[in-house]
Amino acid sequence: MTHDGTIVRGETLRKRFGGITAVDTVDVSVAEGDLIGLIGPNGSGKTTLINVLTGHLLPDAGGVFLRGRRVNGLAAHGFAARGVARTFQLTQLFSRMTVLENMLVPGLTRPGSTRAAATKQARTYLEFLNLAHLEHLRAKNLSGGQQKLLELGRALMLEPTILFLDEPFAGVHPHLRDELIKRIQELHHSGRTFVVVDHDMESILRIARRLVVMARGRKIADGLPAAVRADQTVLAAYSGLA
Amino acid sequence: MRWLHACVLAAAAAAGLAYAGHLNSYWMHVAIIAMFYAILTASWSLLAGYTGLFSLSHMAFASVGGYTSALLVLWYGIPIPLGMAAGIAMCCAVGGIIGWVCLRMSGPYLAIFTLAFSEIVRITFSTEDQVTAGMAGLHVPALLQSTSRLPYIYVAFGLLAVSLAIMAVMVHSRWGLFFRAIREDEQAAAACGVRVAHFRILAFAVASGFAGLAGGFYAHYIGVLTPSLGSLDLMAIVVVMTVLGGMESLPTAVGGAITVEVLQELLRAYGQWRLVLLGILLLLTMRFARNGLLTPIWQHLVRLGDVPTAPPATRDVGQEGSRV
Repeated sequence: MTHDGTIVRGETLRKRFGGITAVDTVDVSVAEGDLIGLIGPNGSGKTTLINVLTGHLLPDAGGVFLRGRRVNGLAAHGFAARGVARTFQLTQLFSRMTVLENMLVPGLTRPGSTRAAATKQARTYLEFLNLAHLEHLRAKNLSGGQQKLLELGRALMLEPTILFLDEPFAGVHPHLRDELIKRIQELHHSGRTFVVVDHDMESILRIARRLVVMARGRKIADGLPAAVRADQTVLAAYSGLA
Repeated sequence: MRWLHACVLAAAAAAGLAYAGHLNSYWMHVAIIAMFYAILTASWSLLAGYTGLFSLSHMAFASVGGYTSALLVLWYGIPIPLGMAAGIAMCCAVGGIIGWVCLRMSGPYLAIFTLAFSEIVRITFSTEDQVTAGMAGLHVPALLQSTSRLPYIYVAFGLLAVSLAIMAVMVHSRWGLFFRAIREDEQAAAACGVRVAHFRILAFAVASGFAGLAGGFYAHYIGVLTPSLGSLDLMAIVVVMTVLGGMESLPTAVGGAITVEVLQELLRAYGQWRLVLLGILLLLTMRFARNGLLTPIWQHLVRLGDVPTAPPATRDVGQEGSRV
């Protein structure tokens, strides 16, 4: 199958939990160089969609495609090996391991990697994220914002082509939020593709080139931010009418 | 001095070996059994402490290793070291299968599963008395033709040293990092590209293999093998030893085995009360030193010899948070 620059594509994805349809017949695609804001009210299925698109959940129906190849059933580590990195809604660091060790885990899963090379790469990213001076500290001792940064750094260690960031700005101090936004923009300019989930509309609108909106498990809008913001269906969803 | 902690361990081991010849037969036996337990606690630490897989079937694997070696030697007359190697291989294979079967289990579910497996093994060995001699005990050829226990001390020490060296290489390699990542958060480890299932099975297979080695040695040292080697009582002792010493590092787990074994002998005059004392010590450890009683000492030793490659974070975390 050809893929015309599309990195990840979900085709008529459906995922149910008991009687709840968390993702309902969703088609979504992410092309190389995209910076997509994935938004929607609480419980709209954003995180479930990310879990399906990164191999952490198996869809009940539909297909997940990576560069045109169907990868349903591929384990999460397989997605990581193919350049798909992610962060989590509630930060999931290796809390009793040091900052540097957190970075080394993904670095050393890459084929042919050595500890020396991975350490050098980790220190470069830690420098980029202003965490270099904390490399010997246990991850659990970082502030909430620093933990978000470290999780981003850990994802970067996979040298991914696409990053799914699940609520990277949640509970983050405004100064650090600005720093995170700056780093995401810099990484995007250097060629990385992003899908960012967040409730913080102001932050999302500052970075997103395209918005995908979900409500009650369905995709209700997909387009340029200006167009999506004016969409009556979106406004209704956010006001609880959809 | 970068390797201070390793030098201290080596010096302690050398001093212990040099002094071993002066021990009487009774204390030689205590030392041998302490080293038998040390292999078990170190390998259980690899599984439960490093990888977070709280298995209660470790002594069952020791039992499988012991019976495999003993029966092969008795039936086919193969050399004892070959029998012990077969016991290790058998335990690695069965451990790998158990690891695969309980891939999706953790915490209490894994503990209950492995507890059930442990009891199945013990009852099977007990019931199949035509093969295993059951509780009457299987008479097993001795590893060494020696009336002294000193050669056994050297063999036990050699096995412990080789086991620890292999496990130390593992835990300091990328595998060790992946084991700890799995212990911390399996989902995040998978997102980082760690093949979680692969490494969980590997941890089970390797730890079970070392348990099999300990069981094989025990069988050919004691000379009589009963299904009680795989009993939950002995599993509880392994857990107590590892937890008291510190389950997240090999030296503290080994230290726990030696300390508890020696304490049990020193307190023998108190009869069953010594077990109560050990129980109270375990309660206090869980309440006040969850990382084990020997962990602070070991960490201090490591820090003494540590030469930081980059400036350590000395600033207050709260200040760091406000900085950004």
